[in-house]
Amino acid sequence: MGLYVWRRLLALVPVLVGISIIAFALGVLAPGDPAEIALNRSGLYTPTPEQIAQVRSELGLDRPLVVQYGHWFQNLLRGDLGTSYTNGRPVAGELLRRLPLTLQLAGSAFMLTCFSGLFFGTLAVVFHREWPDRLINLMVNLLLSFPGFWLALLLILVLAENRSLLPTSGTGTLAHFVMPTLTLSAATSAIAIRLTRASLLQEMGKPYMLAARAKGLHRFRLVATNALPNALPPVMALLGNYLGGILGGSVVIESIFALPGIGSYAIEAIFTRDYPALQGYVLITGTFYVLVMLLVDLLSVMLNPRVRLGGASSHG
Amino acid sequence: MKQLSLVPLRKTNQLPTNVFHGKQPFTLLLTLLLAMMLLITGCSPAAPAAANEPAGTPAAESTAPAVAEANTPVDPDAEIVLAGRRNLAPGERDAYYCSSILFVWEPLVSQDSNASPIPGLAEDWEMSEDGHQWTFHLRQGVTFHDGTPFDADAVLANFERMGGEVKTSSFYPLHVDTHYPNLQEVLKVDDHTVQLVFSQPAPTQLYNMVNFGSAMYSPHNFSEDGYFNGLAQGTGPFRLVENVLDEYLVLERNEDYYGEKAVANTIRIRVIPDVDTRFAAMKAEEIMGVLDLSAITPALAEELVKDERFGLSSTKSTMIRFLIPNGTTFPFDDVRMRQAASLIIDRETFVNELHHGFGTPTTNILNYSTPFYHDIPVAYDPEKAKALAAEVLGDQRMPITFYVNGGEPLQKTEAELLSVWFSEIGLDATIQVMEWTAVREEMKAGTHHLARAQQGLSNSEAATIFRRFMLPDGDQNVGYRLGYDNPRVNELMAAVDGELNLDRRHAIYQEIQEISAEEQPIIPLFNDVTLLVFNKKLANYDAQVYGLDLPAIGWAE
Repeated sequence: MGLYVWRRLLALVPVLVGISIIAFALGVLAPGDPAEIALNRSGLYTPTPEQIAQVRSELGLDRPLVVQYGHWFQNLLRGDLGTSYTNGRPVAGELLRRLPLTLQLAGSAFMLTCFSGLFFGTLAVVFHREWPDRLINLMVNLLLSFPGFWLALLLILVLAENRSLLPTSGTGTLAHFVMPTLTLSAATSAIAIRLTRASLLQEMGKPYMLAARAKGLHRFRLVATNALPNALPPVMALLGNYLGGILGGSVVIESIFALPGIGSYAIEAIFTRDYPALQGYVLITGTFYVLVMLLVDLLSVMLNPRVRLGGASSHG
Repeated sequence: MKQLSLVPLRKTNQLPTNVFHGKQPFTLLLTLLLAMMLLITGCSPAAPAAANEPAGTPAAESTAPAVAEANTPVDPDAEIVLAGRRNLAPGERDAYYCSSILFVWEPLVSQDSNASPIPGLAEDWEMSEDGHQWTFHLRQGVTFHDGTPFDADAVLANFERMGGEVKTSSFYPLHVDTHYPNLQEVLKVDDHTVQLVFSQPAPTQLYNMVNFGSAMYSPHNFSEDGYFNGLAQGTGPFRLVENVLDEYLVLERNEDYYGEKAVANTIRIRVIPDVDTRFAAMKAEEIMGVLDLSAITPALAEELVKDERFGLSSTKSTMIRFLIPNGTTFPFDDVRMRQAASLIIDRETFVNELHHGFGTPTTNILNYSTPFYHDIPVAYDPEKAKALAAEVLGDQRMPITFYVNGGEPLQKTEAELLSVWFSEIGLDATIQVMEWTAVREEMKAGTHHLARAQQGLSNSEAATIFRRFMLPDGDQNVGYRLGYDNPRVNELMAAVDGELNLDRRHAIYQEIQEISAEEQPIIPLFNDVTLLVFNKKLANYDAQVYGLDLPAIGWAE
């Protein structure tokens, strides 16, 4: 197991270097001169060619691309992600400033998704083809039908604007996170419910469940304790992917609810061709993603002994 | 279908029978759920009757609800919460630290509602006869927020800072050459007098200096590289006491202000990037007003003022919205085609239908907020447009590429309407939506026939705009591929450089504006407005050319 973990960790290094190179290349290939954009952030003023040349020189943009990338990578090893082209602040500091909020939001959305996915998915199977199952199905279809931004605006309209139960936006209290969490979790919760239900139903049809039923186990216990652990791996893979995704922040949710997380930082960096900010963002989120995937893989191994380390699996 | 194997389980299970079985209870439950949803949404406080305020009118007086609440005592020092779409105080690494609309810092030269220079921290000035020297007499008894006195030494320190490398900003880049072209030296005449010496006559220098052009900060406020070492320390009626980037900033009344003190004790300005959320926050009364550029869309502003709790204030802004024709390639390299494209546009309909009347149609390249603006009647003549286009295109139709900025969703709708009109003169537009940076690059490459853009005024000196758009080497002329070169304009602009007489300068500017309206190097659409909405619990929430008169706002009685 230890060797497997180390091998996986080592495999991360080329992946992350690859991600950083691609991100760097994308930033460079994208149209737009960062120096010009830095000088004209308001969009109302066009700098002179001399001013652009001066800023290009200050930012090191007049050096060969390989040199620029090498310089960035060297600093990275020292924990320095560079300085933002557009606001002159250290990228690492800016990401660290925004990261707690993104983690808070991602954590709460993830927990809600896990809970709703497992709870309602299990409930739907316990009451298969009865009214709770139908109600859950309806809820799932509704949640899947709502685009995230629309759900966010609907929640704001009902819970904040009309009923004044929650603040419309911003940070500060737990109440500020209720609507963003619901919005961020909605669609994936629905998928998790559906997947849990389908996976459980598959398990319920297997011979060992017939034996369990024959013992006269309570319906809930039958599903929750016997079938659920075996039905979990596909749900975990889904939740792992989801967590990896939302750790990168959600541009739409952060924008609508005025949450200054790393998602909004990334989109701002894209618009302003802020290469150092983009590279820092990609590096952080890429690292998160591959670590989460690693964790999911390890949990899968722990949960399902049939999975052999190294990718082989037994059949029986 | 393995799950079918559950059927026997269901049949044989020994769980207590649930009272809700079959379709009937499910329908009942669904009905209850829908009823609850309707109850939640339907029982919301109904919006009071429409106020029927016409677009563009100044803020109305407080009406019934505000009067009713007037019975409860108002704490005049209670915090006022406003919101804008971006950081109005981007912080230490911004050349200005914060926007002028916060009234934290003040300029040497301010401007009135017509963008004419008026005294700021310089209470008086004079120009030498040859236009080479400007002498400024500084206001006395003024201190910065950190207690440092404002005097000639402080002004020199600010000019020294400007003379370094160009400093970037969310507002305008800061560099001495931008605001003080041909400046040779800055002299301290005495403790309260400074003199600027120029190598060339600078008769309109005051127009270059207004607001952002002559912002003053405490000399102790600068870091080694010329940015800031902490919160901005200006002389304005508000002190900046807290600045949490991307979330909010807090202003407090400067009790030591030399002039009329601000009405509000504390103002918090939140950052809410999404306009729909700002609208919701207004309705929920979490914020009392919006400010800054693009504070609210015309459609949402009109929707909001249907509720009589809210008022609207608008005035002209420095922004002009226009089309960029590629004048270096067919068909817009022919002046007749640019004229045809301009004449076919029904600007009244354009502004009224798409911008709810918030804007003033124009064909003049110069924005209407400068004192040099010359009002030129807006021509709309479809028949003449068709005739001109026929002269250029013959009986052929011409496919054209029309770029719009995807960051402003309304631009695509605008382009669709314009395309309908253009099709009448034989131009078949393909609309391409891109982000602005990509549009700029495409224009540099010259792949466009038309693009949609806008331009603000960094100062009220009209020559800046003419130079950039109408001279052959003007940066916008080159960057947008306008391909504009008119010998008469070149001659007039050469004459302006040495012209000390303001009346003659006015006459030159007027002629250039008439040429611009005739030849359409760009195709102006309309002059924009500053549009603000506010809760009528606030008083004196009046829009200005840029921002609002923040020191005047306070809780209504």
